[in-house]
Amino acid sequence: MALVWCVGLSFLIGALPWLSGNDPARTVLRARSAEREADPEALRSVREELDLPTTPVSGTLDWLGGAASGDLGVSWVTGAPIAPDIASALGVSVSLASFAALVALATGVLVVLPGLLRAARTGHQGGRGADVTGALLASVPDFLLASVFVAVVAVRWGAAPTSGWESPAHAVLPALALGIPAGGLISRVLSGALGAALAESWTRTWRATGFGPATLALALLRRTLAVALPQVMLVFAGLLGSSVLVESVFAIPGLGHTALEGTLAQDLPKVQGAVATLVLVGLLAGGLGIAAHRLLLGPALANSGMTPAVPIVPAANRLPFVIGAVLLLGVAVGLVRDPDTVTLAARLEPPSVDHPLGTDALGRDMLARFGHGALLSAGAGVAVSLVALLVGGVVGVCGARARTGAADVLNALPPVLVGVLLAAVTGPGLAGAAVAVALVAWIPIAVHARTLAAEVRASGYHQAAVAGGAGGGWILRRHLLPSVLPVVARHALMRVPHNTLSLAGLSFLGLGAAHDSPEWGVMLAESMPYVERAPWAVAVPAAGLALLGVVASLLRTERR
Amino acid sequence: MQFARSRPSTPAAALGAAAVLGVATTGCFGGGSAGDQRLSVELAFPPVMQMSPYSDDAAQLGRLGAAEPLVEVDDEGAPQPLLAESWGRNGDGTWELILRDDVTFHDGTAMTADHAADALNHATEASPKPRALAGVELSAEAVGERTLRVRTDEADPILPQRLSAPELAILGPSAYEDDPAIPDPTGAGTGPYELTEVSQTTATLEPHQDYWDGAPQAAGIDVRFVEDGASRVGALRAGEADIVDAVPVTELANITDQNVLEVPLPRTVGVLLNNDTGAFTDPALRAAAADAIDSEPIVEEIYEGRADTVDGIYGPVNDWAHDRPEVEPETEPSDPGGEPITLATYSDRAELPEAASAVADDLRGSGFEVDVVVQEFATMETDLLEGSYDAVIGARSYLLDTNDPVGYLASDWGCDGSYNLAQFCDEDIDERISRAAAATDVEARIEAAVEIEAEILATHSFVPLAAERARIGVAEGVEGVAEDPLERHLVTEETATP
Repeated sequence: MALVWCVGLSFLIGALPWLSGNDPARTVLRARSAEREADPEALRSVREELDLPTTPVSGTLDWLGGAASGDLGVSWVTGAPIAPDIASALGVSVSLASFAALVALATGVLVVLPGLLRAARTGHQGGRGADVTGALLASVPDFLLASVFVAVVAVRWGAAPTSGWESPAHAVLPALALGIPAGGLISRVLSGALGAALAESWTRTWRATGFGPATLALALLRRTLAVALPQVMLVFAGLLGSSVLVESVFAIPGLGHTALEGTLAQDLPKVQGAVATLVLVGLLAGGLGIAAHRLLLGPALANSGMTPAVPIVPAANRLPFVIGAVLLLGVAVGLVRDPDTVTLAARLEPPSVDHPLGTDALGRDMLARFGHGALLSAGAGVAVSLVALLVGGVVGVCGARARTGAADVLNALPPVLVGVLLAAVTGPGLAGAAVAVALVAWIPIAVHARTLAAEVRASGYHQAAVAGGAGGGWILRRHLLPSVLPVVARHALMRVPHNTLSLAGLSFLGLGAAHDSPEWGVMLAESMPYVERAPWAVAVPAAGLALLGVVASLLRTERR
Repeated sequence: MQFARSRPSTPAAALGAAAVLGVATTGCFGGGSAGDQRLSVELAFPPVMQMSPYSDDAAQLGRLGAAEPLVEVDDEGAPQPLLAESWGRNGDGTWELILRDDVTFHDGTAMTADHAADALNHATEASPKPRALAGVELSAEAVGERTLRVRTDEADPILPQRLSAPELAILGPSAYEDDPAIPDPTGAGTGPYELTEVSQTTATLEPHQDYWDGAPQAAGIDVRFVEDGASRVGALRAGEADIVDAVPVTELANITDQNVLEVPLPRTVGVLLNNDTGAFTDPALRAAAADAIDSEPIVEEIYEGRADTVDGIYGPVNDWAHDRPEVEPETEPSDPGGEPITLATYSDRAELPEAASAVADDLRGSGFEVDVVVQEFATMETDLLEGSYDAVIGARSYLLDTNDPVGYLASDWGCDGSYNLAQFCDEDIDERISRAAAATDVEARIEAAVEIEAEILATHSFVPLAAERARIGVAEGVEGVAEDPLERHLVTEETATP
């Protein structure tokens, strides 16, 4: 299974130069010597030296032949063997991703803990505070967090090294930067699971029987962690190859960096080696996530001992409407202003009467750009989330048995590789970026849905319905969807800002919204170099995304 | 009910297991230590080819004082002695160089003409040939203990300048033992510092006490390769680094307690207009675009005054650029009338995308309809070279390894040029470039170069925006950092930290 994926992907990567239309001799030469004239003689020399394959298939066959005997080949650019490089990058990435996954889990648990403790005492988890906190954390871009940590914690306070990977102290800031936003997403899964657990009959029975709040709290924590652990493993596997931006801020020599460098230089043996490694680790992590879910639920999952129910969700108050109104007001005011006029003399001006939200690096009015970019930013993020919900829901609910597969492989692939391949197929633009992001965005939803559906199938009522001769459609409508859909839908909505950021993250490949577009992700990326000097230029789009995330996560997803 | 009681400690166990996983893998951290007088340097570019001189790593070897070529060039472009004391041209067109007698490689071997000849001959076999040797057939032989004879297929007027290229650094025999295609410079250079260890993230250099030009001041150099400019500046501000390379313009305002050395570079940023396809095949529209683009606000605001204004391809760092003849525009501008164009630039340099927005705004103001494309250089190079865009904003050094302005003209403005982004081809200019390339006299070459430059500017195919500067961040008290417009030196034997 893993073997099939590795071989298939190797061929796809082997075809990269043919898909992208870029001569690998030229990209390799450029990587070695940026300003060397790529005259025909130099290109011929590189081609001969590397013995570049003449068809997409032949080179990959050679590489696979070597890989089968444990030889991952030699990098086209550096001339050094691939295996030691990949091994050291994997070591770095596994450490970083496991720290980050730990931070994510801890953050998630801390966010839902107040609600969980209250539920253990009173049987209700209280308001939607955890959802708001979680949504806010989930919408913070990890690269923004990384830059702020460097500027404040490392430079101002001197409390941590600025960059590098030499001691455990070097891992603290990057792990926090990667883990905190991921923790926001995990908290969503935990709080969904908590709502469902509170609706299950055993919690009432336990309370009635007189179990103390401490015992009940532990039981609830375990019940919710069972649902969240597969997500934590996804976060772990996903970060291995895609934490490029944070790796770059902290100069961490991880696999994401290896994959980026290799893909841009079309150093095919290196990319093939990196991707094979990521796929194997990704499948392993996915398997561990499923095993953790089984382990935590014990025999109940196999013996129809589950009693999942329609989750109890505390009613949202007026908060989403208030926030939505603020957001809409800002957009409306911005829409009547001019977002495009470049006034270099007025660059990076702080908020003033003329420019209520300040100006960006080209002297353009931030409020106007905020308004004009709103529809595009929210629209693209929501569209990707809906596709993710649809695909993830169908795959997750209909997949009969939990096992590792395509989802784990896609989750582990470095985004730059997916982006380059898609850019070759779709050409530049927002559509290609949306496809690239959607390809990965459905996975957490599918895994979430799969985890929940597995619990429903292990319930007595499901068994009874099956025994009673109920059809698949009836079971789906009456048992599976009511338990699974609302929770998963809210998870998908909470990921809207995350998707918008991922879209912007591909812009360096020419994918995503156009340069100069007031799309919030683009605005954020363009203003990042000025985060210390002109925080408002970063804060405006970041706040837009955060508010969007809060509103989306508070929307009602269940029938009244 | 049963499941909750069976293993009450499992969440804790799961957390513990994850913690163990994390802690167990911290074995992958590298160790690092630094002494008192050691210099801590952060460079922007990690090694691309295991520090082989046949790649961009050659420049790093020179900048860290690890390796040296036979000759160096001064600010005027004239060759000066380095490992070779003197040189002269024989009647048959070959050159003879007399080497210093007091040079030892880092492993203790005394340098002879045989070593130098071997090093040069290995370089001619590199794949591809080093930039400085492109298009030249060269062979070297020792004709005495310290006398080196260099022969080229055609008489080479600028051979000494060629030999100053960092890629032609002289390494000891141990460098070529394992793989002559990727020489290993550790312990094999001649510079003030010996490269002892190198990885993708760090390098360590120790002082070479027998250095021929006096013992180095610092007790060693600890190099870290940090690609992110803000992170390098962060390290400087936090006191972790003594010297950081390539300070981005955007970070200058954040550096308050340290110094930034600014060195004007022979590197010009400009807009190249496509002569082969699209709107700018019309000289009148090129003139209109050149008229519309206002470079001053770009220098003053986007480069924050930390670049220089420039009137042509050759910038103010070279005095001879001022001797450019009067540029006589070929055509009067016409009205663009909504002509659609695509303006492209690459995001590898932070200022270029912003400059593109400003230029696009100028062009729109004059009546063009502008689409801006920004990508990583690596993903757009083919399109750039094939002329897929109407206009390209690029930054380009015009004095490369030979410190000669003519080579640049051939590659960037010749009909067969390999980096001809303007898709420029003019037979008359092509002919003049070939003639200039054959001139032996440095003065004559420069004179020809500025004349050709004026001809190119007259076609409005190049709109100059700014002349770049190198910016080196230096901690308080650090002295003797080299300010070299060719960016071949950074740390020298005189560099010291208090």
